[in-house]
Amino acid sequence: MSRRFQLLFSGLFLATIFIVPLSQAGLEIYQGQLPEFFDVFTRVPKRVNLRTFETNIENRSVYATAVRPWIQSLLFMALRDPGEKALLGRDGWLFYTPDVRYLVENKPAESDTEPENPVLAITTFSRQLSQRGIHLIVLPMPGKPSVYPDELTHRAHMHDHDFASPTRELISSLQTAGVETMDLYETFLSLRQQHRLDAVEPYYLAQDTHWSGTAVRIIAHVVARRLLDLGWAQTGSTEYTVNSMYLRRRGDIIRMASVPSLTQTFPAEEVHCFQVFDKETRNLYKDDARSAILLLGDSFFRMYETDEPTSAGFIAHLARELRTPLTSIVNDGGASTLVRQQLSRRSDLLRGKKLVIWEFVERDIRFGTDGWKYVPLPRD
Amino acid sequence: MKQQGTDHEVTTLGTIEISARLLEIPEPFPPNDLYNYAYILKYHVIKVHRGNVDGSDIFVAQYNPLKPRSSARDEFSGKIGGSLEAFRVGDVHRMALEASVDDYWMGGIIDMYFKQAGIRYWAVWTNLESK
Repeated sequence: MSRRFQLLFSGLFLATIFIVPLSQAGLEIYQGQLPEFFDVFTRVPKRVNLRTFETNIENRSVYATAVRPWIQSLLFMALRDPGEKALLGRDGWLFYTPDVRYLVENKPAESDTEPENPVLAITTFSRQLSQRGIHLIVLPMPGKPSVYPDELTHRAHMHDHDFASPTRELISSLQTAGVETMDLYETFLSLRQQHRLDAVEPYYLAQDTHWSGTAVRIIAHVVARRLLDLGWAQTGSTEYTVNSMYLRRRGDIIRMASVPSLTQTFPAEEVHCFQVFDKETRNLYKDDARSAILLLGDSFFRMYETDEPTSAGFIAHLARELRTPLTSIVNDGGASTLVRQQLSRRSDLLRGKKLVIWEFVERDIRFGTDGWKYVPLPRD
Repeated sequence: MKQQGTDHEVTTLGTIEISARLLEIPEPFPPNDLYNYAYILKYHVIKVHRGNVDGSDIFVAQYNPLKPRSSARDEFSGKIGGSLEAFRVGDVHRMALEASVDDYWMGGIIDMYFKQAGIRYWAVWTNLESK
C-alpha cells in the first residue's frame, strides 16, 4: 500500500475516533459552557466522581441523544427488538426486562448480612415494630411475568404449577420466621384460573409494569379480609362510594424503552378505574396521618392513587374496605430500604399506629435501590 | 446589571430563594429509567435572598438530577426548572425552594442523610450562579 493511502486511512481512523468528542466539546464551548470532559481533570478521581462524569457524558452527548432513538426504531421495525429495557411478549404484551431477569437468572448465593438479605431486613423491621406494639403484614407484589408467564412465552402455561416465582421461597421463609406475609401469587393464579383472559379485564396492563384498576380493587378486598380475620384492623365508620371511569394510559414500559416506533405501534391503553369518594362530603379519598394503619409501598401503591385519575389506587380501596382513612408513604422503586429511611425521618407518622402494611415489587428483592439495609426507627 | 444566575422564575417562584454551594454528591445518582426520583443534596447556604432557611447547611431535594434542570420537568413533578445543566460538587446554585419536600413530591426520595434531622427543601428552580 502506498504511503499516501496509509496516511489517508490513518487520518480516517483518527477522525472516526476523535470527531465525536471534539465536535461535542466545540458545541459546548459554542453554548458558553466548559466542555464536559474537563470534569475528569477538575474533580478528585473518586468512584463517585468518575461515575457522575460518565453519566454526564452519556446524558449530554448530542449524537447519542439524536441517533439512539432512530437506531432503536430501526431495530424494532426490522427485528421486533424493543431495546434492552423491554421484551416483546405475545398478543401485544410488553415486559420489563428486570422483571424477567429476576425470574430466570440464577439467584446469587445466600448472604447472612445486610444489605443483601431481605429476610434479615424484614424480620428486623418486624421486631422493631413489634417492640412498639405495632403489627406488620408484608405484601410481596408479583411482577407481571409471574402472573402472565403465558403472555411472555407460549412455553409457559398458567395452569401448570411448574413455573414458580423465587419470591414464593421468600414468602415461605418469612412465614416460618413468624412474619405475617400474604401470598398474592396464589390469589392471582386462582383469579386467572377462574376467568379466561378474554372474559375479564386483565389484572396487569399489557404495556405497563403495573396492575390494572380491577386488580387494585380485588386485592384491596382480599387484604382487608385478611386484616379483619387476623383482628389487626377494625371496620371504621366512614362511608365511601366509588365512581367507575375509564382513562387512557401510556404504558411505562413504552416510556422507558424510548423507541419512537413503539409509541406508534402501541396506542395508549384504556384502563378501567374506580375512584373512591367520601360518601358524605363527596370529596375524593384523602389520607389521614392520625390513622392507626400505615402503608409503605412503591409505585404499585402510587398507581391510580396520586397518578391519574387519583384516589383510585390500592390505598383508597383498602380505606373503602376498612371504612377508615389510612396513612401512607410511597417511594417509587424504593420499597426495600428507601421507604423505611423515609419513615425513620418522619417519626410523627408512627404515632398511634397499630399496623404497618409493607408492599414491595418482587424484582426489588434482588434489584431494589440501596438493597435491604438496616434502618433504625425513630428513637430506636 | 443582572446578577449571575438570576431570572424571573428564580426570583418569583417558591417561598425561599438562596445562593448555596453544593457540598457533596454522596453516591452516584441511580438510573432514572424506570422511576424518576428526588435526590437529597447537601448545600452550604451563602446568601438568603428571600424567605428563611433552617441553618447554614441544608438539605435540598432535586428531582431527576440526571437531567438538565430545563428538561427535568414531567407530568409528575409540577413546575420545576432552571438553567443548571449538571450537578457538580463545589458549584454555587441560585435556587427557588419550597418546604418541605413531603408536601410537594409524593414519589421516590433517595435520602442518604436520613439519619440527620432537618427540613428537606424542594428545589423548584435551580440556576448555575458560579463554578
